[in-house]
Amino acid sequence: MMGPNKLVIAAAGSGKTTYLVRQALAVENSRVLITTYTESNEEEIRRKFFEIHGSVPGNVHIQTWFSLLIEHGIKPFQGKLFDWDVAGMILVSQRSGLRGRDRQGRPMYWGEEDFRRCYFDRRDRVYSDKLSRLVIRCNEASDGAVIERLSHIYPFILVDEVQDLAGHDLDILTALFKSPANVVMVGDPRQVTYVTHLEARLKKYRDGGIADFIREKLPRKVACDIDVTSLVTSHRNSNAICELSSKLYPKLTAATACKCTGCRQPVPVYAGLFIVRRKDLPRYLKTRRPVQLRWSSNVKIASTDLPALTFGRSKGLGFDRVIIYPTKEMMAWLKNTQSALKAETRAKLYVGLTRARHEVAVVYDPADGEVVAGFTIFE
Amino acid sequence: MYIEKVKIKNFKCFEGWFEVYFNQSVNIIVGNNEAGKSTLLEAIHLCLTGILNGKYLRNDLSSYLFNREVERAYLDSIAAKEPLDPPEIQIELFFGGDDDALEDLRGNGNSEKNDKARGLLFSIEFDKKYDGPYTELLKSNEINSIPLEFYQVQWLEFSRQPAMTRTIPVKSALIDSTSTRVQSGSDMYISRIVREFLDDTERVAISQAHRKLKDAFKADDNVGAINERLAEAAKISRKKVSVSVDMSSHNAWENSLMTYIDDVPFHYIGKGEQCIVKTRLALSSKKNSEAPVLLIEEPENHLSHSKLNQLISDISTGNTGKQVIITTHSSFVANKLGLDHLILLREAKVTRIKDLDASAFFHKLPGYDTLRLVLSQKSILVEGDADELIVQRAYMDANAGKLPIDDEIDVISVGLSFLRFLELATALKIPVVVVTDNDGDVAALKKKYAKYEDVGHIKICYDPVVDKGDLVIGSKPFNYNTLEPKLVKSNNVETFNKLFGKSYDLDDLHRHMKNNKTECALAVFSAATKIDYPQYILDAIAK
Repeated sequence: MMGPNKLVIAAAGSGKTTYLVRQALAVENSRVLITTYTESNEEEIRRKFFEIHGSVPGNVHIQTWFSLLIEHGIKPFQGKLFDWDVAGMILVSQRSGLRGRDRQGRPMYWGEEDFRRCYFDRRDRVYSDKLSRLVIRCNEASDGAVIERLSHIYPFILVDEVQDLAGHDLDILTALFKSPANVVMVGDPRQVTYVTHLEARLKKYRDGGIADFIREKLPRKVACDIDVTSLVTSHRNSNAICELSSKLYPKLTAATACKCTGCRQPVPVYAGLFIVRRKDLPRYLKTRRPVQLRWSSNVKIASTDLPALTFGRSKGLGFDRVIIYPTKEMMAWLKNTQSALKAETRAKLYVGLTRARHEVAVVYDPADGEVVAGFTIFE
Repeated sequence: MYIEKVKIKNFKCFEGWFEVYFNQSVNIIVGNNEAGKSTLLEAIHLCLTGILNGKYLRNDLSSYLFNREVERAYLDSIAAKEPLDPPEIQIELFFGGDDDALEDLRGNGNSEKNDKARGLLFSIEFDKKYDGPYTELLKSNEINSIPLEFYQVQWLEFSRQPAMTRTIPVKSALIDSTSTRVQSGSDMYISRIVREFLDDTERVAISQAHRKLKDAFKADDNVGAINERLAEAAKISRKKVSVSVDMSSHNAWENSLMTYIDDVPFHYIGKGEQCIVKTRLALSSKKNSEAPVLLIEEPENHLSHSKLNQLISDISTGNTGKQVIITTHSSFVANKLGLDHLILLREAKVTRIKDLDASAFFHKLPGYDTLRLVLSQKSILVEGDADELIVQRAYMDANAGKLPIDDEIDVISVGLSFLRFLELATALKIPVVVVTDNDGDVAALKKKYAKYEDVGHIKICYDPVVDKGDLVIGSKPFNYNTLEPKLVKSNNVETFNKLFGKSYDLDDLHRHMKNNKTECALAVFSAATKIDYPQYILDAIAK
């Protein structure tokens, strides 16, 4: 059985989902909640259950974080704050609740005192950036009933991709730690690719700072262990890929490639880290058939036949070979690992590199005689 | 897990909010016809299953579901151009118990906004989406019934999640002996009860077996030949025509399998036996995760006395933590199941015996008479059997031979416990007439009943005149102020001598009537000729 609350820091490809699924399967006769940020990961978890167990047991419930917050966080105890039906959530990429602009053209926003406009759009959908704040408000208004109820329904709560939680989400986690429920969180602070929290609350811990948050912000009586060693072996990436990607986050325990015979079979014909010149690109794509990774769907790709994904979308997936269309900053870092990177770029590069089992290629035309450390030029 | 409280608004006979608490074991609802007993059971069942009268209410809305007064007030308000809001029906069930399975149903989505409440809400309400069309309709002034086309049915947990039969941990078994609801040959209530009785593995097993049945049917040579011939004959269509076992619906086995009792299809056995079988099945469910609530409607209707006895003892002894809500007219049932559990329903208002001052008295004097008072529309309380007979006869004489009971008036002889009964009658607002002797002391009598002088539904009748005489019986002076001498006073010695076939003088008549009260009263009661009655008796039977 699971122990006290726990945060497991996992490296890419270390079998995070498998770990969670096994944790859930070990619980019998109690209800288990597994929650994660994205729908694609929710599906990945379901798939893993079918792979390992053949089905999702009746006591296990998988739900995305947003849907959990609406169903269990807001609806049950919204009555003290408002009485209309919540029509769902509206995903926003900018600060929500714009009231208008002042004379200088600066934006003004609806505040708490204009409750409905602050939290909801015209069709009564909650703004995604304020969802967890509203849950905290419901919890306060009901004297803690939200968390109390949830912890009774689910004595075991597993959170996947916990690095994606930020702002008031962290307050919800803290409240869950204090509750009788047993919380196990798994995440990779290196893979924060969805920044949907624009609020100032706990901003410091936004970019992969979950472990720091737990170390620094938890009330003393609330226990949460941090496990940095269980999930550092990559069952996906080769040693070369592990080494390179670990350099992006020198403060975190470096991942190492596993030695499982199952994972390392069959031995690939091609492997390694390559620089591919644009003129060689068609030939490379044709022979190695990699998956193409890019910053956004605006970045031109060389082959429309081969699959292409953005870094964000590729999260959680694994391929034999990938080819990266790097941004300028990414390329600069690959050439010199001391060069500066924005948090988001760093995370996306990490995600990109760690998708490959055997081979990572980077599209780049080196100057004559230019060498990128660790990489071989594809001839 | 059990139903702790039910709240009903505007459903059938309940005008405005109605609220009743239940205890965890047996609850007996007594009350007259039209008091709302059956409606209460229907409402509970509806809120637990979404089903009313064997149909999903969602597809079967009708304005008859609304309270008539509420509907009228609404329509009148529209006619008067001061429209009220369209009326709504709400049924709320609050569950008790400390099971975590109930936490799913917890939330403040209830009429009380209570954070601690776990339960379900069933509502039939105006759908705000139709604000526009409704405004148009109001302008057209053509509303002569509740505009149900703008209504929606909501069935929610208190957590504001849609309720689903499958996830509701409290299961209801409605056992009404009055009618059978047939669904594809099988009574759907028994199907339901059987289904609740089975656990998940058994349910899978039975549907597997049912599927095998289909395969075996299809594999049969004769069926094969028939299907070939059918296919041949139906050449017009390019598709294949064949016959097979119906597997179309989700719960095919439930619809096509029949429950048998001693090889007799369930709905062919007697109603009484049906009732007992359903009750037993529902009571013996052993699932921990679910709690059945038995809703039993008037079990006395189809059961012989011995069967009724059997059912009652099943309910009172057999249940281990199962909640039973039973309606009855029978004082036998109520008495057997214990008066503590009694819930009295009168004109959609609730009283619990336990909450009454007189409840201690009930413990001392449990019995039919107190229940008769409770169950009656109106009662005349008298001291003894003789008084009862005289009052009955006086009533018949005044009402063309109709007995008081024909007009739902119960004449109850209560001995010396008038005050106890009055306490109960006051609490329950039951119209009561007391017929009493003045026993020679009008002042004492007045003092005794002073408390009830101003109670509108209680009338105290006695002769205000104190009569005196010289007769002494033994060493005691004869009491001229009881029923018999008052009767003699209203008539004369001859009347009674003729009636009794005697030739007493006045004193002997007094002696005779004093010593043979009941016989004399019976003689009066069954005589062909009418006698005259003292004014206080006439007052008592006056309407």
